[in-house]
Amino acid sequence: MYINRLLLLVSGVVLIFFPAIESWMVSSEIAWYRPYQLWLLVVVAAYWNQRTRYPDEL
Amino acid sequence: MSFSLAQILLFIIAYLTGLFAVAYMADRGIIPKRITHHPAVYVLSLGVFAGAMATNGVIALAHQYGYNFLLYYLGVVLMFVLAALLLRPLLRLCRVYQLSSLADVLTFRFRSPWVGAAVTIAMCITLLPLLALQIEAVADSIHILAGNSFAPSPEDHRHDRLALLFCIIITVFSILFGTRHVSSQHRNTGLVTAIAFESLVKLTALMVLFLAAVYGVFGGFADMEQWLIENPQASEPMRQSIQGNGARAMLLMFFAGAVCMPHIFHMAFAENNDSRDLRSATWGLPLYLLLLSLPVLPLTWAGIKLGHELPMDYSGLAIGMALKSVPVNAAAFVAGLSAASATIIVTTLALANMCLNHLVLPLRPLKIDRAQSIYTQLKWLRRGLIAILILAGYIFFVTLSGRQSLSQLAFVALTGTLQFLPGIIATHYWPRANRTGLLIGMSGGLGIWFFSMLLPLAGIDNPVLLTQVYHALLGDSEHLWTAATLVSLGLNTTLFIIFSLLTRTSPEERVAAEICSMDDRARPTRQILSVYSIADFSHRLSPALGENTARSEISRALNELQFSTTETRPHALRRLRARIEANLSGLMGPAVANRIIEDCIPFLPGEHGDTEDIHLIERNLDQAQPHLTGLAADLDNLRRHHRETLDKLPIGACSIGGDGELLMWNQSMEHITGIAPAHVLGSLLGTIGEPWGHILEKFLRGDAATLLKTEVVVETGSSRWVSLHKTLIAKGDQGNTVIMVEDITDLEMLEEELLHNERLASIGRLAAGVAHEIGNPVTGIACLAQNLEYESDPEEIRFMAQDILKQTGRVTRIVESLMNFSHTGDHAGETKLVPSNLADCVDEAIHLLALDREAKSVQFSNHCDRELVVLADSQRLLQVFINLLGNARDACAEDGEVHIRATASDTGDTQIDIEDTGCGIPAELQSQIFEPFFTTKEPGYGTGLGLALVFSIMEDMNGKVQITSPLSSGENPGTRVTLNLPHTNYGLAFEV
Repeated sequence: MYINRLLLLVSGVVLIFFPAIESWMVSSEIAWYRPYQLWLLVVVAAYWNQRTRYPDEL
Repeated sequence: MSFSLAQILLFIIAYLTGLFAVAYMADRGIIPKRITHHPAVYVLSLGVFAGAMATNGVIALAHQYGYNFLLYYLGVVLMFVLAALLLRPLLRLCRVYQLSSLADVLTFRFRSPWVGAAVTIAMCITLLPLLALQIEAVADSIHILAGNSFAPSPEDHRHDRLALLFCIIITVFSILFGTRHVSSQHRNTGLVTAIAFESLVKLTALMVLFLAAVYGVFGGFADMEQWLIENPQASEPMRQSIQGNGARAMLLMFFAGAVCMPHIFHMAFAENNDSRDLRSATWGLPLYLLLLSLPVLPLTWAGIKLGHELPMDYSGLAIGMALKSVPVNAAAFVAGLSAASATIIVTTLALANMCLNHLVLPLRPLKIDRAQSIYTQLKWLRRGLIAILILAGYIFFVTLSGRQSLSQLAFVALTGTLQFLPGIIATHYWPRANRTGLLIGMSGGLGIWFFSMLLPLAGIDNPVLLTQVYHALLGDSEHLWTAATLVSLGLNTTLFIIFSLLTRTSPEERVAAEICSMDDRARPTRQILSVYSIADFSHRLSPALGENTARSEISRALNELQFSTTETRPHALRRLRARIEANLSGLMGPAVANRIIEDCIPFLPGEHGDTEDIHLIERNLDQAQPHLTGLAADLDNLRRHHRETLDKLPIGACSIGGDGELLMWNQSMEHITGIAPAHVLGSLLGTIGEPWGHILEKFLRGDAATLLKTEVVVETGSSRWVSLHKTLIAKGDQGNTVIMVEDITDLEMLEEELLHNERLASIGRLAAGVAHEIGNPVTGIACLAQNLEYESDPEEIRFMAQDILKQTGRVTRIVESLMNFSHTGDHAGETKLVPSNLADCVDEAIHLLALDREAKSVQFSNHCDRELVVLADSQRLLQVFINLLGNARDACAEDGEVHIRATASDTGDTQIDIEDTGCGIPAELQSQIFEPFFTTKEPGYGTGLGLALVFSIMEDMNGKVQITSPLSSGENPGTRVTLNLPHTNYGLAFEV
């Protein structure tokens, strides 16, 4: 099984820091775009990660 | 502000016609391929996930659950970001085995048509709320745009006719879009491009609504923020935690939806040719969904601010109405229309394929009719199924008890499809899972779902019991759908695990599990086919597929594999069989395809893959090599090292399976036989062409483990000599055999050369004696001739003539002996075993040695039986005696004795002992005396080749040679050379 190590690390970090991230996200009344900032980070990480080819690709 | 119904319907038809035009242009190549095959198009086509729920329902979700609405997107985002977990292996499986739906995958994994049928029926039922959701969203939008208002009682504003009209239009377009290609192997470029176009339209429309909400309703971002500060009740739901069972259930549903929903599965796998596209989707789809979700919160707040009477799902239309803006209304309507139409088209197409492959074809086999090909029949069946499915969606919409919110319908559908998630996960991660567990688990989960979610939609019963159970289990009573989701999935998984563990997993399921497994690469096994040529394939498949279709499918598979029509290699035929099955799977589903192939081209019974297809495994490993790391990379390097060692071995090596199939053929084999590995690997040994096929097969079938010095006449007419050795690598009932082929042509030539040289050297050594021996009679003849001149008595003259004849006879015998000895100088000469008189041969050797006058005077005694005949090459046997008796004489002192004795054993062998009274051979030298160029004689007196040649000649004649020394103690201990020759007899009668 080929699980990307970077993704594994990010998943672990997100799991550990989820309560803190969540409270930061909902703490502001007007900064409604905060979840999107995180989301954008995920997109960038996914873009970075997809550059690696996997052996089971066809 | 309102529009007439005719206007709206015209708009719908115009939009869908435009969409069809895009599909048509993409199919015809009017839109360049670089656009239609760009990864961005694939990513956008995955936007089919965002149905009417994304354009309408999610606004109500945000209003009710705050930031939890993001989970709708987050589930899919997670699935794609973590593509390595499920999506990538699924794509690999779908591409290799031509699987185009979830039912195909589960049927393939659990090897049962019942699984496919059950999953298809369940999928059709669970998807009805999703179809109803799309129909409701569009019908409601038309209803609102036509200027009608939502009355408090839902019964008053049912607009079933509008919905029916929309269904009829969308049915026509679905049929036009979806049935252009019968096989899932062909990418439906038109459909993919059209759905990608709809995703763009959807995004653009939502962005227009976003700007309309922010600038039209609030006056700008700053004003919106100000409004939020002034109206904290509006942003209150945003402060809700995203944790809790509700959130977990929601995330689970949407996560599973990304792979279990048939429309997403269809676009992600059935319409995807390239894994690079999936890699682009891992970040492209999250980005697209991010953009799509941006307008949701401003639209929600704009809806709250406007305080419209419409459900929150239709805030976009409400904003358009409030702003009295035709473009904003059009954008709101187009967003919903594009989302709903894309979802309905792709969902019904995917469901139609599933129904066809798993329900219709297994029950009603296609007619083999020349007038209507299988392809045409499949197309019409698919069209009929699409119409039936949309009609079923409409009927479900009509039977809904009242006005359900879009998100309610979405949750019901998603919870239903969530029940397939355990099966999908087990496909890749749990080889122990079996069909009994899957079917029972799914029945349990879907049963809960049916009673707790689907029936309440139709207003039947409220499952209070379920809520109580859920409350008892989790100590929490949030929403009913949370309870239903978690309980149904929990029960499903539990039953799946328990029954899989309790019941037997069939061998077919274990093989399929291995193929699907992510931990192991597929280990293909070699099985023996019952067909031996392409013509056999055609002949066998014709009854099931029709002659033309069978031919066309075989030709397609041959093209894809780049095999010729004359192919007969079992390995190639196995690959062809697998390819045809995969192609038929794309056409009719894996269950039907498997049944046809198993019936028409079965493997021979009793040969169920004990041996692995080494060739295929190596090919797979070679492909994976750049990506192996750690221990796997080390093992692979070791494998390569051994492989290279075998390949570069200076001795030919080939490996043959128990069925006679060639598994390995190294470079030396290519050099020796002139046959390249690519031409023989996977072939049966007997079919590789003469003379090698016959020789190797005969050796393989024979009992002997070694075959020395075999002459092979190759195509050019020249000879090669090889020695063959074999060893069995036992594994199960059948073992592989490794044959080593040693090319000894050069050695054989050299040996012949040396033999000849040695013979000439012996003649040279005899030259002085010969001259002397011939000189005496010649002198005698000369004297007699002189006397003859003066002799007149006729009686005397007659005596003298007789003397002269006697002397010339003596000369002739000497010359004949020499000629005889030097005769076999033919390099290409083969050892010819013929009955030979042993005593005569020994006499001849003694006579020749006697010619050497310079040699010591030694007494040779020939005690061999005059009647004893051995099977030997007399010329070579003579050379053996010349060498051995010569050596014996050299070892003896003056007047020494050499005795030659022969005894025939009961077993038919002859033992010949040559004993001398010489100095003997020291024990430390005895191991070296048969080596070439080893001699104890003075320089110039021996070549050191004599005993080496004796050894070689005896081996050629299937004999043995042995030295015993000393024979006694004392000054002249003596030596005995023992020769053993097989096949002996008395007299001349001989049977060989």
